[in-house]
Amino acid sequence: MAGPGEITVLLREWGDGKPGATDHLFELVYPQLRSIAGALFRGERPENLLQPTSVVNELFLKLVRQRNLRFEDREHFYSLSARIMRRVLVDHARSERRQKRDGGVSIPLDEGLAWVDAKQAEMIDLDRVLAELEELDQRKCRMVELRFFMGFTVEETAELLSISKASVDRDLRFVRGWLYDRLHTA
Amino acid sequence: MRRDADIWDELQTLFHLAEATPELDRERVLAENCSDPELLRRVMTIFRAAHVEVEVEQTQPWSGSILSNRIGPYTIIRHLGTGGLGSVYLVERMVGGVVQRSALKVLAPHAAGPAFIERFHREQHILASLEHPNITRMRDAGLGDDGQPYLVMEFVDGIHLDTYCDDRVLGIPERLEIFSQVCDAVAYAHRNLVVHLDLKPSNILVTADGMVKLLDFGTSKLIQPDSLLTTTITATPAYASPEQLRNDPVTTACDIYSLGAVLFELLSGRRPNDKASIAIMIERAMKEQEPESLQLAVTEEAAANRGLTASRLRTVLGGDLATIVAKCLSPRPGDRYPSLDALAGDIQRFMDGRPVLVRPQTRFYRIGKFVRRNRKAVIVGVLVNVAIVATLGYAAWRQQQAIREGQRALRMQTFMYRLFKLANSNYTGKPAVTVPEFLELGVKILPDYIKDPADLREAQLSLAESMFENGDMKNAQKVFSDVIASAKTAGDVGAEAEAEAFSGNIAYQQGPMDLGEKLTAHALELSKKPGVSPAVRAWSAIYYAWNRENNGFHSDENLRLLEFAVKESRDYHLPPHETAEALDNLGAGYDMHGRTAEAEAAYTQALEVYGQDPSALCDQSEIYGDLAFIKDKRGQLPESLQLYQRAYDGYKTCSGAESRGALIEQDYLAGALIKLGRAKEAIPILEASLPAWRRVAGSSPDLGDPFYFLVQGYLATGRYQDAEKTAKVLVDLQTGKVAPTDRRFGIAHLFWARALAGQNRYEDALPHAEIADKLLQVDANPGPNKLGVEAHQLLLDIKSRLASQ
Repeated sequence: MAGPGEITVLLREWGDGKPGATDHLFELVYPQLRSIAGALFRGERPENLLQPTSVVNELFLKLVRQRNLRFEDREHFYSLSARIMRRVLVDHARSERRQKRDGGVSIPLDEGLAWVDAKQAEMIDLDRVLAELEELDQRKCRMVELRFFMGFTVEETAELLSISKASVDRDLRFVRGWLYDRLHTA
Repeated sequence: MRRDADIWDELQTLFHLAEATPELDRERVLAENCSDPELLRRVMTIFRAAHVEVEVEQTQPWSGSILSNRIGPYTIIRHLGTGGLGSVYLVERMVGGVVQRSALKVLAPHAAGPAFIERFHREQHILASLEHPNITRMRDAGLGDDGQPYLVMEFVDGIHLDTYCDDRVLGIPERLEIFSQVCDAVAYAHRNLVVHLDLKPSNILVTADGMVKLLDFGTSKLIQPDSLLTTTITATPAYASPEQLRNDPVTTACDIYSLGAVLFELLSGRRPNDKASIAIMIERAMKEQEPESLQLAVTEEAAANRGLTASRLRTVLGGDLATIVAKCLSPRPGDRYPSLDALAGDIQRFMDGRPVLVRPQTRFYRIGKFVRRNRKAVIVGVLVNVAIVATLGYAAWRQQQAIREGQRALRMQTFMYRLFKLANSNYTGKPAVTVPEFLELGVKILPDYIKDPADLREAQLSLAESMFENGDMKNAQKVFSDVIASAKTAGDVGAEAEAEAFSGNIAYQQGPMDLGEKLTAHALELSKKPGVSPAVRAWSAIYYAWNRENNGFHSDENLRLLEFAVKESRDYHLPPHETAEALDNLGAGYDMHGRTAEAEAAYTQALEVYGQDPSALCDQSEIYGDLAFIKDKRGQLPESLQLYQRAYDGYKTCSGAESRGALIEQDYLAGALIKLGRAKEAIPILEASLPAWRRVAGSSPDLGDPFYFLVQGYLATGRYQDAEKTAKVLVDLQTGKVAPTDRRFGIAHLFWARALAGQNRYEDALPHAEIADKLLQVDANPGPNKLGVEAHQLLLDIKSRLASQ
């Protein structure tokens, strides 16, 4: 298992745009998160089940355990976190689909989930459509991830991306329509 | 069909164009801007999808295996809610022939698992060990038919702390009062080695009669003295301490943080960092960021829910309260209050107006608080300070105030008002400081230092009220008029009502009297509007009532207003001196209406409210005097003597032996001595007081007081010639100063007649007896007119003597 120091180094490298840093980080952080998420959904730590943000919390704790990790490049850090969150949730949905019958339990995330009306069963579709969006418009995909996988408010998203709240609102309205259309008609 | 990638920019442009166009024109405008019908259709599809309302899926309350309406011996009445552990039901059960209602918490099926059961048992264990009036009591625990564990707790018919306070538009003192109850309960839990770990308004219920009940010790952990426990985050993030968010060990300091967050919301109207996402909250916790400002959280709506304007609320929250809250919300557990008792102590000190321990003790602050507590002792110091401020320049003061921002107004008010009140209270005929000049100066320079119009009005009111107390009615009236005009324009109802109440009082005293009534009546009307502080409401009622009463309208309505003022000051937990003054007024009102038993009760309560407050010694002494007078009238002379003595001693301490208050009490004390047959002791006291009386009263009719008692003393000891001379002084003092029909003339002539009759000069006595009889038969006071009877008896006596001669 990776120590926090290693994560920090990788995170810095990733922030500096070093090729391959992302994958390394993923490999380091992901298995733990995955198991946490799985345990959460299996009800082994069920006190957290009703706590929609547990996964986010755990992610933070793993990534930022070390006090000396600076938030100098917050956009990179949070964008990465959001992508990891997305992965965790989609993978969880996949395994659920294999095992489960109804697929009816909502993913315990932010209230923003209602935005795309994604039930667990739709998470895989959402992931696919988001992949399309990423091809088309990487920045908007980041925005969606931050807002809906990290639970960032519009204000925070705007601040992080150094744009106005109005343009985040404006972009998200469009993306929402687009995603909804792709999810429900494609 | 073109791929989205090829039309991505166009799609967005048209989408935003569609958004910007009114519905009726939308299709036309879009068509004008796009010739590709397929693209248009696509844009409209996305546009419609973007505005689809998605319903947030509600978690259904679990009712799973509860198919019947029973769990164990309990009958379910209704579902109350679903919480972190499971569902809660209102249930009932026959206990000893009586239906007992309880709240039953049953574990949800998804919660089934070793960890949950363990936690469930933990709660059971914890709850069973806690017994406190503000913590929900556990009654029972057991397993249902299907093996589901349940807990049965006392059912609390209450509402969430925040809702309770807002619904009732509770002011800050009442909120603090309730919060103290919460502290009490949590402190008790801490003493029993239990931390709650999920304190939030929805876990704190308040019953209709204002009783706090703490719920849900489900997350709590027993503190083990030698090991720090860690917890996964189960608390509501908004109220969770940074160490909980960081997954660090938890201690009682977590609860102190959460209570700080609850207090923050209770005072300001919203939670700290309420706009932040969880992610950012965690980031803040990691970076140990300082809490945000309590004052900046204030909104108009929150202020209205506290019966204040936003600027007033910010002012109130600016001083010690901000410090107390910030201390609780420190990101580092070690920087918080070391215990809940320390927090509760500071809150109590704040409510009592004593210096709060946590606050850095700056010089300026110390002066402010010290003045409030010990008005006599620091008077000289304060005056010296004023001189320094005045001569070294206000610049330094101003700078200090700038640093203090919002505290400025409050400090200004407290400092100034107290200063002047003090100067006044010791200004009994001794021109030690030219207070009127100083007040005038204050009014003049005020706008230079206080820019906010609302703050300015508040400060002007303080100064004008000091002028009023100092008897400078002319200048006070000018300032009140300014405040009324400015408050009217700004819609500041509170300031308008306050200024009008005082202004009306001045008009009553100085004329025109009908204007006085008009103004106090309007103030009373205004004071009923929202946004007016309870103190102003109470005072408006008091002023109006006395205005009516003194104008000859003795009605029970006046008493009801005085009663209302007392109720307001109690309900809103106004500072003790306000409540006590309202009680004092009510006592005087009852007394005026001859309801002496109630008057006595009100006075006694006023004394209780004043408690041991040394700064209220003069006020207390006056009440002792009033109480003594009631006993006096009832003929309970030994008791009244004691009370007069106490009143006199009090005044002697608070304003000096030669102050008007001390002299008055001394006179009445002598009067009681005379009635007790101890006139020989009374006479030297009264004679000795005359020089001091002359200094205080000059040649005003008030100087009659000592002579009134002195003449009785002479009469009682058979010194009729001295009595005759004194009675003449009494008449002369009042001639031309009070109305010729005034009762006081009647009394003076009665004494004069008795002095002459004592010398067997019945012929000389007759005209005085006749005047006395005529004047004393009119008695506005309730109760038997003893003097009227006495005068008539004397007249008949003298006549029969003259007839038999």
